[in-house]
Amino acid sequence: MPVMTYLEAISDALREQLRADERVLVMGEDVGAFGGAFKVTDGFVEEFGEARVMDTPLAESAIVGTAIGAAVVGMRPVCEMQFADFVSCGFDQLVNVAGKTHYRSGLAVPIVVRLPSGGGFSGGPFHSQNPEAWFMHAPGIKVLAPSTPEDAKGLLTAAIRDPNPVVYLEHKHLYRRVKGEVPAGAYETPMTARVAREGSELTVIAYGAMVHAALEATAPDQLDDASVEVLDLRSLVPLDEDAILASVAKTSKVLIVDEANETCAAGAQVAALIAERAFEQLDGPVRRVATPDVPIPFSPPLEQAVLPSADRIRDACRDLLDY
Amino acid sequence: MPQLGVSVVEGTILSWLVAVGEEVAADQPLCEVDTDKIVTDIPSPATGTLSEILVPVGETVEVGTVLARVSSDQAGLRAGPVAARGDSATGVAESSTSPAPSPSMPVVRGAYYSPVVMRIAAEQGVDLASVVGTGRGGRVRKQDVLAAVAANGVDRPLHIESPYRPEEPAGQLSHMRRAIGAHMKRSLETAATCTTWMEADMSRVEAARRHASASSLVGVTALPIVARCAIEALAEHPALNATLEGDRYARHDAVHLGVAVSLGEEGLIVPVIRDAQTLSVPQLGIAIRDLARRARRQQLAPDEVKGGTFTITNPGQFGSLMATPVINQPQVAILDLEAIVKRPIVVPDDHGDDVIAIRPQTILGLSWDHRALDGAQAAQFLGALRRRLESWDAAA
Repeated sequence: MPVMTYLEAISDALREQLRADERVLVMGEDVGAFGGAFKVTDGFVEEFGEARVMDTPLAESAIVGTAIGAAVVGMRPVCEMQFADFVSCGFDQLVNVAGKTHYRSGLAVPIVVRLPSGGGFSGGPFHSQNPEAWFMHAPGIKVLAPSTPEDAKGLLTAAIRDPNPVVYLEHKHLYRRVKGEVPAGAYETPMTARVAREGSELTVIAYGAMVHAALEATAPDQLDDASVEVLDLRSLVPLDEDAILASVAKTSKVLIVDEANETCAAGAQVAALIAERAFEQLDGPVRRVATPDVPIPFSPPLEQAVLPSADRIRDACRDLLDY
Repeated sequence: MPQLGVSVVEGTILSWLVAVGEEVAADQPLCEVDTDKIVTDIPSPATGTLSEILVPVGETVEVGTVLARVSSDQAGLRAGPVAARGDSATGVAESSTSPAPSPSMPVVRGAYYSPVVMRIAAEQGVDLASVVGTGRGGRVRKQDVLAAVAANGVDRPLHIESPYRPEEPAGQLSHMRRAIGAHMKRSLETAATCTTWMEADMSRVEAARRHASASSLVGVTALPIVARCAIEALAEHPALNATLEGDRYARHDAVHLGVAVSLGEEGLIVPVIRDAQTLSVPQLGIAIRDLARRARRQQLAPDEVKGGTFTITNPGQFGSLMATPVINQPQVAILDLEAIVKRPIVVPDDHGDDVIAIRPQTILGLSWDHRALDGAQAAQFLGALRRRLESWDAAA
């Protein structure tokens, strides 16, 4: 099985779907001649031409709106927001049009909006955000957030084939840091959670880059051989409630990690689910580690101070294990 | 006050052998009781401390009255064998002597217990006050209550009269097998056992059974119908619904019907349906199913296997045709229901001529005690039973 970086796996999925399905097209700022700000679409315009790999103006509302129109007439557009932060300019098209068109008019809107998200590289307040919760709150939109190269390819493939609007969060910090085996050929990863590590005493629930922080923090040698389960949500909408509840039933203690700002983040929904459906399974408070409700600082030490670190996660785990 | 015999309805406390606050081991005599038949010791159902005496010396109380409470303490729990419940009442009717844990919520004594700890304690009958917590500030954690459950599961003592006393070392007969053997030998040595057989046409019973199975009221066996017919035949022939202990022969108004339940290789057990004469066929079916299910799950209380006045055994499911069952002492008769098999038999046709017909036949067997009755009564009872079976009308 070939080994790829997270970024190469995303490129691989896109390239395969462009080759396999002539309805698939790519649009975004600098995705063509420049190959994308992060080089995800490097070489695409040469292979597929400008009609299917379209450079757009710096206008996210126009990108998403055009994609919606193309989707309604039968295309499968994949839009790239250069940074996830910029999606706010396309918010109305995404939330009010894409998410509601099927409900209102019975028309499917099979678009994918790729959001290079997350911090950790001193990108500052406009290039480091994790806006997934905005879209979890908007009916009609699926929200995916892979943490491994294999899932990045499989979930992007599933997203392109899905008849619904899908927001796909690809964590920039993982692009070239995470490598792994990726099956050749097209495959779909189910929009369900994955047990990243089995454990029995505590469950850490995370997604995206925080899965890696959680795995690092809870490695057995880091926590006196405590048996900690790490659940990688992979999909936030739909949320794999069964997997969450099953893990809580097993361990009875839960830590939820969000890289996003804490208030109303994805983890808040997970915590609410557990409080509502797993109350009698709990042997301790449901705890969360997230970024405080502040903009992401440019200063590297300040940024490291606000983002959830392996140390913070480990401390919270210790606290819960001792509880 | 345990049921110390079929006819015993009350007992008088002669003396308490253990004082309140003293420790008591399972099976250790707690008190001495006088009934109209015998003076006997009442053993403790569990290890613990005698926490309460509820019936003073000299007082006469009915069967089923709680006599005392034995509580299992924390030290005992850690040391090993302790009852899972906080309190084990002795001398109570089925509910409190049942091995099934009490579903009552545990008492919180100034401590906070998390939802999962409360739930496990309630389900498993763990007294949380007796569990040592290893969490922060001594908090009882999930693993602590699970450890207590595991300890109880291994060491929980069974009631002295529990039919599920532990197995003996390999190579020896189990407690249950020895109990069955002793009981059977005693019966054969005591009773003058005779067996009478009578053939019965089960066409109508089979038809009713199929009909009822379709509406799933009676279940799938003929047993509840045979039981109902036998109960009615006993009302006609009350000499068989009786007990004989020594020279003391007593007929009983109520039919407390024993139904033998096979536990596979372990043995068999005969739970008793009390006041079976008040139950309809569907109710008997439900009662038999319930007792059989609980018998196989080891959930019968000691008092549920005592006090029968007549017994039915039903091994016909394996195809056997006839048997000579051993009477369940101190009863005087036992009915044996064997396989129902299609046979060619001679029946009258519409014109009164003899023809050969295919009918589901069975051979009803009755072992009876010649000390209490004679063959004519046994045959008359079987005849009454056959008449009812052959004219069975589910609608009637």
